[in-house]
This record gives sequence, structure tokens and C-alpha cells, in this order.
Amino acid sequence: MSVAAGGGSESAVNPKMTAGIGIVGGLIGVYLTPFHPVLGPLLASLGAVCAIIWGADAIARVASYGLGTGVPSIGYMSVAVGVVGVLAGLACGVMLGNVFLGPILGVILSAIIGAVIAILGKKIVGMKIPVLLTGTMELTAASAISVIGFSAAIAGGIGMAPIVSSVVATGFIALLFIMNTMAIQHPFNACLGPQENRVRTLKLAASTGFISMAIVGILGGLFTAKGAVIAIIGAIAWFITIKMFLKASKEEAASVAWSGMWPKEEEL
Amino acid sequence: MDPLLMIGAVTVAGVLIGGGVHFLPVGGAPAAIATATGVGTGTAMLAAGSAMTGLITAAAMTGSPLWLILAAGAVGSMLMIGITMLVGNWVYVWGVGTVPASAKVETDPLTKYNQEKYVTPGTEGHGIPTVCYVSGIIGGLLGGVGGGLAYWAMYESLIGITSFATPLKYVGVELVPAAMIAGIFALGLFFVNAVIASYNIGGTIEGFHDPKFKRIPKGALACLIASLATGIVGVLIMNGGAF
Repeated sequence: MSVAAGGGSESAVNPKMTAGIGIVGGLIGVYLTPFHPVLGPLLASLGAVCAIIWGADAIARVASYGLGTGVPSIGYMSVAVGVVGVLAGLACGVMLGNVFLGPILGVILSAIIGAVIAILGKKIVGMKIPVLLTGTMELTAASAISVIGFSAAIAGGIGMAPIVSSVVATGFIALLFIMNTMAIQHPFNACLGPQENRVRTLKLAASTGFISMAIVGILGGLFTAKGAVIAIIGAIAWFITIKMFLKASKEEAASVAWSGMWPKEEEL
Repeated sequence: MDPLLMIGAVTVAGVLIGGGVHFLPVGGAPAAIATATGVGTGTAMLAAGSAMTGLITAAAMTGSPLWLILAAGAVGSMLMIGITMLVGNWVYVWGVGTVPASAKVETDPLTKYNQEKYVTPGTEGHGIPTVCYVSGIIGGLLGGVGGGLAYWAMYESLIGITSFATPLKYVGVELVPAAMIAGIFALGLFFVNAVIASYNIGGTIEGFHDPKFKRIPKGALACLIASLATGIVGVLIMNGGAF
């Protein structure tokens, strides 16, 4: 199962950059939701896509050490933590009397549970991954932002009441759970290996994020202005990013073909 | 429901789920090409299948006494994992053409059938022999009881709060927010504990006869602490009912 084992090789993408895109882009998108009935949800879903790209980069950094359990498992765990953390964070916002505190508290609570799990993994289970703590925290925070972003896009607000009534009670939260997991874990799961190029992985991450956004648009009501705008922009962006990914894959496949076979194990 | 009781129930549920995962015959990628015993997929997928079925059957019993909810969850999870293993075995036997056999033991502890002769050289067994099947069913039982317990604890905590208990109309269907929040919370708890247990077993395990099964105390301890943390965060959800 540890196909990706080998450890953190030099990444083509600066981790700080993806983290910046995820945190800043994600939170700005989420917090602008209540200010416009159509553009707000659109920005929230774009913020969720930013968070998915961050999550895909974080999962690539952690899972490149070989978790022994496959890449999807940590993705499922992080989004599970993200969903629980987001609901608790939104409830805290209600408790403290300020809905704007909800999303950020949700992200912080998720990162805290992520840290607890990573520390347990290191101290009790005895996992030997140096970036496990920071990686899991980043991953749970990114999952939380992606869940809250898509939830805000469907609900059209960031308070507990709209999200519970239009995302949780309707059961869309279960779909978001699996969909965000797939969007975050699939890029690295599909691209891992000795020839993994992080730029190409993140192109795939953008495409999985945008196709999720298109589905979120449908969930938000395809025949309303809000849902239609999200679905159409998500679908167009998906088309562009998946073309970029396919082009990158073909170019890199050709470079492998022209440079001959891969080196023998002892030459590596 | 008292928040402390809810945290306690969630912690117990997490330990049951984490312990249950140690019983599942998780074969991982090697089993997917029939070179190791067990179902050829990771813990997260097996947990997803059996947890969701268990939660649906448990949720169908909402409002019944606790033992009935736990039993329903257990039966749902056991059925799903049983069907997964049975259909997996069909593929291994008639599709791949291997005999279900374990390389970890010389004879099956339950049926006393010889295993060694049937293990293809160079592999660690293949298919799901009787002992793994029984072990998997026990895993489903523990996991289902755990999932049902977490669902019950969260549901009972939320149903007393008006804004969570009031049914909402959505496309003509009445939905109770408390049930969905409890369901997604239990599902989240299931995944967290399944993955921690999976880290503990290093990805693959055959069942209770596997030498790796001895690691269960460590896994249970890790799951206990993680579920405690998740339960404490879960209590906060109860406080969000004032909207």
C-alpha cells in the first residue's frame, strides 16, 4: 500500500503559497457570502475550491511518506473532522452571539482535533512521518474551509440556522462529505509515484474542485440565479482545468517516453 | 441529555468502533491482486460501507429503546460487511481462481482446515477463509454497536432542543435536523476511529488470529483519546440550538 513511500522530495510548489491561497482565498470567499445573494455564494464556492487545492497539496506532502493505509484514508478522516468541527464552530458562533465567528472557530476546532489525532498517531501508534502534525492540521483546516465554503454556497449564508436547515437537514452534508473527500484525496492518489509533478497534481486538484463546485451549484438550485451561476462557472472552469491537466499529462508522458525507461533501483 | 453522559457515550462508541476495525479482514492493495488475505480495499472504504449501512438501520429505529437502536446498527453493519466479504470471496474463488487461505496460521483456528498447502508460493494468502469471515462479522458487530451508540447519544442530546427538533419541510418531505446532525456526527466519529485503528494496524490485518491483532490495546487507547476530543467538540453543537 505504500506505493508513494520515499518521503518528502522537493516539491515544485511552495507549500506556503498553497496554504496562503487556501486560508486567505477560502476565508475571504466564505466571509463575503452574506453581502450579495448571487455573487456571495459564488465567492464562497470559489473559496472552497481554493481550500481544496490547499488540501490536495497538504495531502501530497503527508502521504508522500507512505501512510501504509492508502491516500484516501487520511482524506476521509480529515473531512470527517472538518464536518464535525464546522458544525461545532457554527454552534459556537451562535453561542457567542456573533455568526461571523462561526466559520473561523470551525476551522480552528478542526485543526485542534487534527492536531490531537496526529499527536496520537505519533506518540501512541508510533507513526514515523515528520510532517504528520503540521500536515494533518493543514489538511483538517483545509477540509473545514471546503465544507463551510460549499455549505455557505448552498445555504446562501454563514449562520447556523441557514446551514442546518438547507445543508444538514436535507442530507446534502453527507454528499459534501464524500465529494470534498474525493476532491481533496483524488489528485495525489491519481498522480503519486516517482514522476509526480506537484504542478500537475494541483491542476487535477483544481479540476476536481471545480467539478464539485458545479455539483454544488446544482444542489443550490439549478433554476435559481445563485445555483445556475455557480454551476455554469464551475463547469466552465472544470473544462479549462481538466484540459490543462490532460495537456500536462501528455507532455510529461512524452518526456518519459523520449528519455527511455526509468532508472534501475540501485541507480536512484 | 447530560453533556458528560454524551461525551462518555461517544468515547465508548469510539473505542468500540476502533476495536471493531481490528477484527476486519482488511487486505489493502496486495489483496486487490489476490496476493494477501482479506478484502482488497482499505479500512476507510470498508468502514464507509458498513458504517453507513449501520447508521441507516440504526436511524430507522429512532425513538426506540437504546438496545434496539444498537442491535439495529449492529445487524446493518454485520450484514454489509458480510455481503462485502461474501461477494469478495466469489470474485477470489471464481474470478481469480484462488482458494481462500491464510498464510498467517497453519490451520484455520475455527475449522482446523490446513491452510499452508493452499497458499500460492510468493503470496501471503488470498480470499477470505472462515476465520477471517467470522472475525469480520465480529468487527461489524462492534462497529455497528459503536455507530448506533454515537448516533443515539447525539440524537438524544439534540432532540430536547426546539430548533433541532422542529421538522423542516423540504420538497414535501419532513426532515428532523437532530437526526441528520446525529447521523453525520456518528459518521464522522466512525471515520476518525477507523483511520486511527487503520494507522495502528499498518494498513492491513486478517482478523483476530493475525499477530498484528496484539496491537489492539494501543489502538483502543488512541481511539479513546481521539473520541474524547471529538465528543468534547460535539458537545458544542448542542449549544448552537439558540438560533
